[in-house]
Amino acid sequence: MATSTGDLLRELAPQVLGVLMRRYGGLDTCEDAVQEALLDAAVQWPAAGTPDNPRGWLLTVATRRLTDMLRGESARRRREDAVYLATPPAVLVGASADARIAGAGGPPDHDDTLTLLFLCCHPALSPSSQVALTLRAVGGLTTAEIARAFGVPEATMAQRISRAKQQIRAAGARFTPPDAADREQRLRAVQQVLYLVFNEGYTASAGQWLQRTDLTVEGIRLARLLARLLPGDAETAGLLALMLLTDARRAARVTPDGALVPLTEQDRGRWNRELITEGVALVERTLAASRALGPYQLQAAIAAVHDEAASVDDTDWAEILALYELLTKVSPGPMVSLGKVVAIAKVHGPAAGLAALGDLAETLSANHRFYSVRGHLHAMAGNPREAAADFRTAARYATNIPERRYLERKAAERRNSER
Amino acid sequence: MKYMVIIYGNQELWDSIDPAEFQQEIAAFDAFNKKFYDTGELLGAYGVADAAATKLVRLADGQPAVCDGPYLETKEYLASWFLIDVDSEERALAIAAEVPSAKARPVEVWPILHEASRETGVDMGVV
Repeated sequence: MATSTGDLLRELAPQVLGVLMRRYGGLDTCEDAVQEALLDAAVQWPAAGTPDNPRGWLLTVATRRLTDMLRGESARRRREDAVYLATPPAVLVGASADARIAGAGGPPDHDDTLTLLFLCCHPALSPSSQVALTLRAVGGLTTAEIARAFGVPEATMAQRISRAKQQIRAAGARFTPPDAADREQRLRAVQQVLYLVFNEGYTASAGQWLQRTDLTVEGIRLARLLARLLPGDAETAGLLALMLLTDARRAARVTPDGALVPLTEQDRGRWNRELITEGVALVERTLAASRALGPYQLQAAIAAVHDEAASVDDTDWAEILALYELLTKVSPGPMVSLGKVVAIAKVHGPAAGLAALGDLAETLSANHRFYSVRGHLHAMAGNPREAAADFRTAARYATNIPERRYLERKAAERRNSER
Repeated sequence: MKYMVIIYGNQELWDSIDPAEFQQEIAAFDAFNKKFYDTGELLGAYGVADAAATKLVRLADGQPAVCDGPYLETKEYLASWFLIDVDSEERALAIAAEVPSAKARPVEVWPILHEASRETGVDMGVV
């Protein structure tokens, strides 16, 4: 199987960074050193051939880069500080330069990668900083690639990443796994970040394109990595399954000119069977083994019911409604309630759905999905005038152009059907 | 999510500000810009020249015809704008409230809908 240099580098990046962190500590300098080694490799390997031991190559180059940086740093301090005392580099970076140096007897790579994920998703950081740092330090993406994926200037993304590193240092975080007491919560943060990456790719929050495949691919790759690191964690398996089962519909979700096709109108023949099979198997395995179902497992189970139905009419809406009841218990929120309303309308009719909207009109008064759902319920109930008005309002609140156009089209269709 | 934060004003308004105060105001804007460039949320901060410098381009029989002045005959014109990229609308509103001139005059916050891609969309997956 041919692996491109880029794929190989992204796979090795967190491993090499993990080793450096364990030896020298200091996320900011170590990460910069690894990034430079990756750039060197990206230039040299395609020309000179991939080295026999690519991981060793990267480790050597990154270590050399780190040494250069520390020398530069100490030289700068020497110039600045009149009472300079010969300080060993390890002290300069405030390192946890422990005894397990030189890779001998240290914990295996996968523990390092997990620790790195926990560090990048540190609670001191804002969600967008967690995402950016994770993509760079664990995903091995360049700042330019991350900047392009999020549609911001490279300088802005560089600033976000360097600030995130400063904040981690300021928070006194160390390259050690979280305490048992914190672990569960920190793991949720990691899962949330990977889901944000995937979701930003799946429904770009704004802009011209409905999907940014590069981010969905990266979200899935990192979720697979996490699932490999934590094979027994049901929610991680649920997260991966949710991504696979959602991504399976990607080809059917947009027309060639980029217009949105909703689930109910999709050509199910274009769904990716391979991803569905893998996702469904994951869901079945985790549901069987799991004692307490978490939100990702439940959302994945809902996606699986959709993906396994041959048509909209064949969809087991009663099963979906039951899953939403559970989801409302473990992870209540207005968007979950909205999903449940759709299931209620499918099982008990549009009037029941409209009645179940309750106070969502207030909590989601500026959310396009609320108006879109209510518009669909009005359309089902035979109220074209109300449906058109809701689709119109939904279009006004949508910030993604294909979604907005789809909603405008629905509004126009309702107005026409009224005549 | 990107937002445009907009300040309106006019020459009369700028003229009415005491010069010493104006310097303070500029320093406050510089500090605002630095703060949010540093957080990685401010993508750009821009200010327009005087309305007197504005030109209006129209096409007459397919030929550009240029004349003076802004398009709208309003008392207040677009003065400055900031392009920000933040995690939530809540955050956008919090940053808008920190615009130094917000103490005196309201600022507008517009979500950005369309961002034309420089690329053809190949990388973005709509194939």
